[in-house]
Amino acid sequence: MGFKPKAITEEVNISKVNPLVDFARLLGAIIALTLVIYFILGLAVDWVVPQLTPEQDIWIGDTLAPAVAPQLGGEVLEEDTRQLYLSELLEDLCHPGDLDETPLTLNLIDSEVVNAAALAGGQLFVTTAFLEEVESENELAFVLGHELGHLSARDGLRSLGRGIFVLLGSLVLNFGHEGSGPDVIGYTLNLNRLNYSRSQEYAADEYGLESVVGHYGHGANSLDFFERLAARKEAFPEGLVRASEYFQTHPLTENRIQHLDAIAREEGWSMTGETTPVPSGLACADFACNESPPDS
Amino acid sequence: MEEIIFFLILLGIGYSFGILAEKKHYKDIKSREQETLSLAIASFGAKQPLPNASEAKLFVGAVVISSDYFKTFVMALRNILGGRVVAYESLLDRGRREALLRVKEQAIAWGATEVLNIRYETSTIGGNNQKGIAAIEVIAYGTAIR
Repeated sequence: MGFKPKAITEEVNISKVNPLVDFARLLGAIIALTLVIYFILGLAVDWVVPQLTPEQDIWIGDTLAPAVAPQLGGEVLEEDTRQLYLSELLEDLCHPGDLDETPLTLNLIDSEVVNAAALAGGQLFVTTAFLEEVESENELAFVLGHELGHLSARDGLRSLGRGIFVLLGSLVLNFGHEGSGPDVIGYTLNLNRLNYSRSQEYAADEYGLESVVGHYGHGANSLDFFERLAARKEAFPEGLVRASEYFQTHPLTENRIQHLDAIAREEGWSMTGETTPVPSGLACADFACNESPPDS
Repeated sequence: MEEIIFFLILLGIGYSFGILAEKKHYKDIKSREQETLSLAIASFGAKQPLPNASEAKLFVGAVVISSDYFKTFVMALRNILGGRVVAYESLLDRGRREALLRVKEQAIAWGATEVLNIRYETSTIGGNNQKGIAAIEVIAYGTAIR
């Protein structure tokens, strides 16, 4: 039995697949799979949310409300006379017959983040920094009306439901894939959530403008806040960190204004009229402003 | 956004350097395989008589090969869907061939005429879940006679 040396000439142990092609296929399959699952779950949430009773809605809102203030970097101001003014304005803005079974709760948060938010079950949040930015009651009313629109459409619950699914989904899927690169699944889902929330924002905008027109008889000046924001965004494309936080998942401000103007024309709403000023001292606690300029 | 850019850069580095290292290693492996071709390797059953020899010695060749960022990421995606981990095939192939080469080179230096009953052991070092490097160790060992 003689030994005849033979060299390895064929690489049978290595598949002849381009690693980049393999990578692209995998990535495509996972993204597609994530999207399919996400849309199915999204449909499930959209089906479940309308089935909830107002009581359940209120319960969810009450349960989650304490967690919002820390997220916005502040505390809820319990006794502040501005809250009463805002609550009354809110009642006036509510569309007649809408949200009848849901008591509206306005939480004023002492925070430097410019933000206003709607949760569920009538829970609304407004930050003190936002009140400082407001220049007329009309624009304040529009933002409050916008948030009422979210409450009315139960957008908070919808995004909450989706958020829970996203969390569960990424927990399950992350087993295989911890600690290597960014979360592909997470990114795919996030981009979709932005898209989803954009259509909600347009709907809430319409609700807000309708509220303002219903209350004041016209929609003049109500979009000033957005216009100022759009102007500032041009000046600081990335710089408006604090205010932009509120608008991250929101459509481009210019587009929103155009969209609202178009709706006003369609519905025959007047966009001119007298501006209602905000009560003096809205930016200060209990409307009581310290006359002396703050030390800087 | 920055995270994605950072990730793509890492992926690119992992891919290009991984390919480079692999090509270089294969070139090296192939030339050394040619050089050590003359040394016979034979495996025997338990009840077969061993060839006559004046001396016998155990030689061990161990090698550790690490994955690159690109391979690790592809592997992570594979974990979700399952299937052949093409990206890691070359890693193990290189490991085994390199380990065997180390055994053969030592045996040739010692003056072996034949290496009997080569065995392989493979183990992983670190891994994805421990957030460390993903690397494999391949050990080849066999009895050389002269």
